[in-house]
Amino acid sequence: MDDSDEYISDVEAIQVKRRSTRKSQVKSDLKGANGGYSWEDEYQRSWDIVKEDEAGSLAGIVSGLIESKKKRIIKNVTPFQRGIIRNLILVIDMSSSMLEKDLRPNRHALTITNVIQFITEFFDQNPISQLGIIVMRNGIAQLVSQVSGNPQDHIDALKSIKKLEPKGDPSLQNALEMSRGLLLHVASHCTREVLVVFGSLLTIDPGNIHKTVKSLVEEKVRVKIIGLSAQVSICKEICKKTNFNDESSYKVILNEHHFKDLLTEAVVPLPVNKINKSFTLVKMGFPSRVSQDTPSFCSCHSKLTYGGYVCPNCKSKVCSLPTICPCCNMMLILSTHLARSYHHLIPLKNFEEVPVADEYDSTQCFACQSEFPDFIANKTTSSRYRCVDCNQHFCIDCDVFIHEMMHNCPGCENI
Amino acid sequence: MKFFIDDLPVLFPYPRIYPEQYAYMSDIKKTLDVGGNAILEMPSGTGKTVSLLSLTVAYQMHYPEHRKIVYCSRTMSEIEKALIELKGLMEYRTRELGYVEDFRGLGLTSRKNLCLNPSVNKERKGTVVDEKCRRMTNGLAKKRIQEDGATDVELCEYHENLYELEPDNLVPPGVYSFERLTEYCKDKKTCPYFTIRRMIPFCNIIIYSYHYLLDPKISERVSQELSKDAIVIFDEAHNIDNVCIESLSLDLTNDMLKKASRGATSLNRRIDDVKKTDAKKLQDEYDKLVQGLSAQEIINNDEDAMETPVLSSDLLKEAVPGNIRRAEHFVAFLKRFIEYLKTKMKVLSVTSETPTMFLQKLKELTFIERKPLRFCAERFSLLVRTLEIQDIEEYAALKDITKFATLVSTYEQGFQLILEPYETENATVPNPILRFTCLDASIAIKPIFEKFSSVIITSGTISPLDMYPRMLDFETVIQESYTMTLAKKSFLPMIITKGSDQVAISSRFEIRNDPSIVRNYGSMLIEFAKITPDGLVVFFPSYLYMESIISMWQSMHILDEVWKYKLILVETPDAQETALALETYRTACSNGRGAVLLSVARGKVSEGIDFDHQYGRTVLMIGIPFQYTESRILKARLEFLRDHYQIRENDFLSFDAMRHAAQCLGRVLRGKDDYGIMVLADRRFARKKNQLPKWIAQGLSDADVNLSTDMAIANAKQFLRTMAQPQNPKDQEGVSIWDINQLQAFQLEQQHHQLAEIDGDGDVPMLTHEEELELAELNDL
Repeated sequence: MDDSDEYISDVEAIQVKRRSTRKSQVKSDLKGANGGYSWEDEYQRSWDIVKEDEAGSLAGIVSGLIESKKKRIIKNVTPFQRGIIRNLILVIDMSSSMLEKDLRPNRHALTITNVIQFITEFFDQNPISQLGIIVMRNGIAQLVSQVSGNPQDHIDALKSIKKLEPKGDPSLQNALEMSRGLLLHVASHCTREVLVVFGSLLTIDPGNIHKTVKSLVEEKVRVKIIGLSAQVSICKEICKKTNFNDESSYKVILNEHHFKDLLTEAVVPLPVNKINKSFTLVKMGFPSRVSQDTPSFCSCHSKLTYGGYVCPNCKSKVCSLPTICPCCNMMLILSTHLARSYHHLIPLKNFEEVPVADEYDSTQCFACQSEFPDFIANKTTSSRYRCVDCNQHFCIDCDVFIHEMMHNCPGCENI
Repeated sequence: MKFFIDDLPVLFPYPRIYPEQYAYMSDIKKTLDVGGNAILEMPSGTGKTVSLLSLTVAYQMHYPEHRKIVYCSRTMSEIEKALIELKGLMEYRTRELGYVEDFRGLGLTSRKNLCLNPSVNKERKGTVVDEKCRRMTNGLAKKRIQEDGATDVELCEYHENLYELEPDNLVPPGVYSFERLTEYCKDKKTCPYFTIRRMIPFCNIIIYSYHYLLDPKISERVSQELSKDAIVIFDEAHNIDNVCIESLSLDLTNDMLKKASRGATSLNRRIDDVKKTDAKKLQDEYDKLVQGLSAQEIINNDEDAMETPVLSSDLLKEAVPGNIRRAEHFVAFLKRFIEYLKTKMKVLSVTSETPTMFLQKLKELTFIERKPLRFCAERFSLLVRTLEIQDIEEYAALKDITKFATLVSTYEQGFQLILEPYETENATVPNPILRFTCLDASIAIKPIFEKFSSVIITSGTISPLDMYPRMLDFETVIQESYTMTLAKKSFLPMIITKGSDQVAISSRFEIRNDPSIVRNYGSMLIEFAKITPDGLVVFFPSYLYMESIISMWQSMHILDEVWKYKLILVETPDAQETALALETYRTACSNGRGAVLLSVARGKVSEGIDFDHQYGRTVLMIGIPFQYTESRILKARLEFLRDHYQIRENDFLSFDAMRHAAQCLGRVLRGKDDYGIMVLADRRFARKKNQLPKWIAQGLSDADVNLSTDMAIANAKQFLRTMAQPQNPKDQEGVSIWDINQLQAFQLEQQHHQLAEIDGDGDVPMLTHEEELELAELNDL
């Protein structure tokens, strides 16, 4: 049951993403805010979005929409040194303000849905990282999911709190203090991060929050906050101070899609800052998979299993990877896990738009083989995107897919 | 950056400039060239002070006249800010020019803020500090010590040390903020206050409160030596008419009269004493008066001499009349006058009369003539000098009476005497106040316009501009209101005319206590408290209304609801309580708790306190801040304005209300990186849109002038989200910020426009090839 739900929401998400990429730019300032019934909502003037150009044609608008879609996927491709072994504490606001219906069905439900998706994506792209979840409710901070590397545990925990009704006031200080405690033991080669989804505009704290911020700075914990309604000065201050005077880690959502985008941004590991740059060698084990005829106890759950992975250091058996060996505390991973984090360090170069010309080398997209549209009539755009290395042409959809999902250029791989 | 306005090189201490700053500076330059007055409205937070200073300083340094600059501002903190800005400017000029200019810039504030003498500066009241200081610094005390080694007087060593310095070089050239000056003086053990006072004639620029220029009591002493061609700037001058009026008005109470008669008695005793010991002194004084010397000529010495309540041009340059020449006669004369006032105060009905009527009656009953009355203040200060009275505090009330006597007998036009026997309308115990009030703001400011060739009046909110020249009776060469160029719309003005239930809301007197209106205002407050992050400021038209509405909200449980989202703090008439509330407010705004400050549109908060960034994200103006129209003074003033300046009552009232409203709104926006929501909640605001300053009116779209609460909330939410998005500083370039190239391109273009106009036939002249290239090059950069 859960699985099928998962599947549906995934499909939906992809569809929404497709749509959002096209509309989010233009619609952002017209999106309804009040929630509830549609007649209580803000007036939407959809006709304002589409404007004809001088010749009465809509081609300009269409190409503009496509362009905006393209713009969204252009990211900074300079290789950075990034901390790919991450320790992230996710703090979710569950105060009464999360009952607001300006996000549908309400802030709380949407947040949980988005966060579940975020967790899947997070572990997909950062397989050797750890994550824990805290909620702020009724003035206190509650740990709902222990720091671990298993996405399913977190998702289960989130599903259980989805039914819980948000209540009371949030306390940022309590949540940050708790996160600090959870991140205290983390080794120096890992990052210490806190991601807060904050729907309220106030925080009721037992003490001086500025002191907490100070200790966070000292312990190199980096806080990122996603606000759901407006800019709160204390959040800005926290983000600025814990991120070496960079304010950009505090963002406020414009609408549902923007919310999702901001969460997706948090999936990419942070660049290692000059200040906490330290080169350490990390000991990792690459265990080999074994399958046995007779069951033996695994060291992680103490259950009888027929197979698993054997730690190269102490020869104990674990069920799944990545994990930390329960016996010798060594990090156990597969080489594919490392490879999956690798693209963050050396991202795929952005494709460039092919200038409009009368003739092109190819007629089809190199990846999906669909025909390029014939745009000789208006010549505003060629609808082609070229890999700078292999010079193959791709359509916009494939361009987006290659950069967001594959992280490898099919043309270059083919050489 | 360095650029030219016509032939004037201006050094501007920032690499970029706002277009409106350039326009503002060009207009000031024009005004100074032509010689005349200007009223300029420049939006708050667009670097008004720095533009003013950099242009005027450039003007002063470039042209051979070296016109002195007199910069008047409102509060001490604003003066200090201006001084710091000036210091930055001068440092920049030094760096750019490569040499240090011979330049002196000082600011003046009261003794209380500057005094270094440990025995004096621990006093908290300004008047006491003044008095103590005078006692320790006046020439008499010094003379006595030198002559007979009196031990009962003490001299201020900080002040004495000044005499050892060259009188024209008490501080080295440079710009001194108050902080820097007091540090310097502490080091040298000199008195900062007198340093500034004595250095005024040698300053290139002097920055002080506009009382020093407007109030005749102090302007004589402080600002007399300013030369005619000085450039006078009144900053934050939207209330200048009230300052003018206050400086010539005086209130008398029973208590004061009692004290005055006590003072007169002790003065009498003093005269007797002196007569016994040193009769010669009094005789001397009398002889001089007989010789026809005016009191002023007798006291022809340094700073702390005469304090005349009337303007210097209205002073009589004649001898003091015979019947008050003898000291004891003068005291008896005063006593008689006080007695008359006392009987007058016994009347239990409200009376209002002109000074002429008052004098007429006075003459009938007491045979006091007008002429000796006019000399009262002068004669009194002379007597105080002769008797060598040290503690003037005892005679403060008496001094006020003499001031009153002089004022009432000097001015006939534009003044009114109003006696109010009861404090409030339904009080039964009389507590009479005799108000001598000035109705004509132009009287006090007239000498300024007469004396100085260029007066610039400027503020963030001074609309409608044409009201000021009418009220203050002067001509302008330029009246201009600038708009704010913004890359993104950083403020959202809205007019809410009805509540969510579509009931019209208004603070009109007859209906303002109506529960439905109170509830609507309450729910509006709740809604805005819910969606506003950090600070929310609410302004009410008056304390009275604020109190009544708060108590009604309390019984409706509205405050409980607001309390969930914000701390609630209230401004009170008590300055210290308010200061505490403000401090708490600021703490709550910066630690995430959030707070709402309930304050009054004419209170201290609305005038001098900035609510920048998180300290004010929303300002809510509940009701139109009209003045209390039943006030007799206001009525008299309205009548006067109608009769003399043809300003209709309603026009003035609505102008006055709107300037206060605009002032309140302007509190939240203090810079281009700031943003805020401005809400005007009253049905009647919808018709007053065009009375708002141009820059606010420009941001107010037609769709937003007639909103209900829920619609406004939806707007505000969206606005707050948009504003929270990171801003790309590149967006501003060229639009709301110019660098030097863009500025030059603009200047070039403007020149062509002018040429085109001169051509007259409407053709835009072709650019010469070179210019075209230049323009293209600039645009490319």
